[in-house]
Amino acid sequence: MSVHKVLIVEDSRATRELLAAALGELDGVEVHLAISGFEALKVLPRHRFALIITDINMPDINGLELINFVKKNPHYKETPLFVVTTEGRPQDRDRGLQLGAAEYVVKPFEPADISALVKRYLKLG
Amino acid sequence: MATERALDEFVTEANEILDQLAKDLFVLDQERGREPDPERLNAIFRGAHSLKGLSAMFGVDRISRLAHRAEDVLDALRLGKVPLDDRLIDTLIETLDMLQALLARVSQGTSAPDIEAGADHLQDRLGDLAKGRANAAEDLLDQVGLDPAMRSVFTEYEEHRLRENVKKGVGLWKVRAVYSLEDFDAQLAALNARLKPLGEVVSTLPSSQPGDEASIAFDLVFGSARPRADLEKALEGATLAPLTSRPAPEVTKVGRPLPPETSSPAPRPAPKWDETSASGFSPFPESPGSALRLAPDASLRSLTQTVRVDIARLDGLMNSIGELLLIRSNINRLAESARQVGTGVALPKLWGQELQREARALERKLDELQKGVLDVRMVPLGQVFDKLTRLMRRLVRESGKDVDFEVSGGDVELDKLIVEELSDPLMHLLRNSLDHGIEPPEVRRLHHKPTRGKIRLKAREQGNQVIIEVGDDGGGMDEARIRQVAVERGLVTEAQAQELSRRDLLNLVFLPGFSTRADVSEMSGRGVGLDVVKTNLQRLSGLIDIDSRRGDGTTFTLTLPLTLAIIRALMVSVSGRTYAVPLSSVMEIVSVRHADLKTIERREVFEVRGQTLPFVRLGRVFRLPEQPRERSYVVIIGLAQQRIGLAVDELLGQEDIVTKPLSGRLRAVPGVSGATELGDRRAVLVLDVGALMEELLRPQAAAS
Amino acid sequence: MSRFAELLDRFFYRPDEAVGAFLELAPETEALPEAAPEELPEEFLAFELAGETYAVPIATVREIQKVGDVTEVPRAAPNLIGLINVRGEMLPLYDVKRRLDLADAVPVVRSRKDVGRGARVVLVKDPEGDAGILVDRVQGVVKLNLSRLESAPQLGVERDAVAGLSRKDGHLYILLDLEQALS
Repeated sequence: MSVHKVLIVEDSRATRELLAAALGELDGVEVHLAISGFEALKVLPRHRFALIITDINMPDINGLELINFVKKNPHYKETPLFVVTTEGRPQDRDRGLQLGAAEYVVKPFEPADISALVKRYLKLG
Repeated sequence: MATERALDEFVTEANEILDQLAKDLFVLDQERGREPDPERLNAIFRGAHSLKGLSAMFGVDRISRLAHRAEDVLDALRLGKVPLDDRLIDTLIETLDMLQALLARVSQGTSAPDIEAGADHLQDRLGDLAKGRANAAEDLLDQVGLDPAMRSVFTEYEEHRLRENVKKGVGLWKVRAVYSLEDFDAQLAALNARLKPLGEVVSTLPSSQPGDEASIAFDLVFGSARPRADLEKALEGATLAPLTSRPAPEVTKVGRPLPPETSSPAPRPAPKWDETSASGFSPFPESPGSALRLAPDASLRSLTQTVRVDIARLDGLMNSIGELLLIRSNINRLAESARQVGTGVALPKLWGQELQREARALERKLDELQKGVLDVRMVPLGQVFDKLTRLMRRLVRESGKDVDFEVSGGDVELDKLIVEELSDPLMHLLRNSLDHGIEPPEVRRLHHKPTRGKIRLKAREQGNQVIIEVGDDGGGMDEARIRQVAVERGLVTEAQAQELSRRDLLNLVFLPGFSTRADVSEMSGRGVGLDVVKTNLQRLSGLIDIDSRRGDGTTFTLTLPLTLAIIRALMVSVSGRTYAVPLSSVMEIVSVRHADLKTIERREVFEVRGQTLPFVRLGRVFRLPEQPRERSYVVIIGLAQQRIGLAVDELLGQEDIVTKPLSGRLRAVPGVSGATELGDRRAVLVLDVGALMEELLRPQAAAS
Repeated sequence: MSRFAELLDRFFYRPDEAVGAFLELAPETEALPEAAPEELPEEFLAFELAGETYAVPIATVREIQKVGDVTEVPRAAPNLIGLINVRGEMLPLYDVKRRLDLADAVPVVRSRKDVGRGARVVLVKDPEGDAGILVDRVQGVVKLNLSRLESAPQLGVERDAVAGLSRKDGHLYILLDLEQALS
């Protein structure tokens, strides 16, 4: 069975761990973590990711810039992205979707829910 | 929700954030009265934002709420909407203290009612502070000629910083640096350090060009008052170029134009949901009651004053009325010609006048009769709404989804023919809302929507039309996907797809061939048979419009005439054939000399009162043999904002006609919606103005 | 396909489906029995097309009319001659000769003057919508014995519009498959 590599880009360590724990339980998913946009840029060429989940508010480049970069890059543009926004900022959601994110998720969320979404999206089990 | 270990993680990280906040606020405090460093303000904002998100994820609501309020104030602050005054700084410092206290209690596992009261109070004060003045309307950035592709990626904050730089009159530059993937972060940090003393780095944008696997490029948007020479010294391998193609106001800079980037359309401000939906979110008014005002649950059967009428008898009555109308027009014509002939000969003239009087009396009576019969044909939409409700309840149960189905406006009445024809399209739209609109529960939770989805079916009267809305609060349509599918299926070219407005893009789903059943499950939208829904509605002289916003849901708005049966039509002749044009769609009639026609992009156009409209030869559209002519009558038809001129040979007058929809195998004929019978029992076709307009306004329709 | 999807599949709207059925409306017209060769009633209406004799089950015939005014319909199917007004009902008039390869082109008929004296319009009932077909002459009702139904020999392209052949008293009757002939 092939493995789906999922990249989580999130600068909050605790949140990152929550997500990694939830997604790590899914069969067929290999979780990769990036603590910032820059990190994500470094990791991208090293693996073929089935999905990227990115926060928006991050120190060096923000999530929207990352989405834009991925979608405009011939090597990665087929990679789907989920954008993680916060309550009360529909403009981030709209921008994220406009720039090419496939789905959006609003913080705070239950890790089990995102697990279910990823499972359905990647058509696992 | 959080485990022991996770809580520790939370507390550790939260403490780190608060420590950094403390440091930054300290500097702000020290530098009171001075212009604050925008980077520092931004950092404080980001700290509050991160804390909010973090504490929310771990269910620590007290901290999350307070941090949220602080974030609002700080956002307003960094966007220049509120000034940084002493009161604000003091409140922020108090907030920091409060947050630290709250966090301490969380880590100890104790509750803190005494502090909580203080926290609430602080929240209110922050709320007041966040109310600032709105930004001035004129946008300098529009005047500055910024590349739309770049602008679409900027956040509100970055735009604000850029604007500030423009206001200060400093030069705007784009610094491009290409680094290897191994160490670009260190290199960028170094570049930033060199640039910071010279100005402000507004944004750092990663770029895919050049497309080398081992390297990555960055475009830094940089504002600086220093001359170019100074800046170039700091670059060390990066290149410098002016950012904009037009000089910033008050600052003149000569520069070569930017190389064109791969374009994405200039972003329009994201439309608010209620601006764009056809009916808006204004509360749906109860439709004005008829004399019999039905209680919402009452069915017609509970009223004893009703009679069940066989529709065939009504049709028979309508036919009789139709014939009477014909007789009336014949009489009118006779009277008219009698009157004219009568000059000089007394008897025929008098007789003509009497005849005309009788004709008028006949007309009055006929109007009454017509109205009466039409009223009998009117049935409440509730008839079909009830059936739909029963069916929806069953489907919802079977789907396992949690959905509220709201119905209103069942007492709105429409011609029975129309109501019957509506059940299919409405059912179709509702099924799709349920299957593809409403997201699965975990996705709705992730979208912070109530787990209970809403599907609504509403009707209301508006003038002599009825508006029916079918909507949901589901996932909405994926515009990118629609664009992709439309291009894949050859319905539009890539270039055209980029040009389309949002509304036009959404309307692509009505094109035949848009999607097959196989696609539907992938899209968070609809596709199957929507073209059929639209053509069915057009046959009823109805329109359908769609509005959808990703994340908010989708609404279909159907507009229908109150009645089909008898309409006033303009009779025209083209190449010897007679057609009826519903007068309600006719804006104007003019006469045009062919010598005055012009051609724009291979299409004929003509001018009327300064406006240029398409000149469409109906004979050509219908592939009829043409005779060369010097002039044509042009019937200007319009729907919403669009107008075109249909060129015909003769005008044959107006008639009240009984329209019969073309049914069965004749449904598929394009441009024709029905037929009527003339005095000599000839059948004459009635044009489908809506379908014609659409056909003729499509990009591919060339005047051939 | 999941069980739910299967269940829902029954209700999926198909453009060619008569959807009215599942809304529990009492049908206003009688449903036609599906015509299968074994169940055809024995009485047929026989008529002439280009010298050959064709027949359709009498139950499908609504009425027979003389050719009246026929209104041209632009951009319609090629086998549509036009629109006829049958006591207020607007119905299509079709040519079947072209479909049966008995003629090269669909005739232009606007009135009685464009056809021969014996020409008639045979109005047939059809679930997709009643329609008229133009015939050269109507012969009358004939009883045909279906147990002696022969299958059509190699007639080529038009074979699918023919349901079979029947002989009686030395005459050859070609049974017309209406659904195919009108498509």
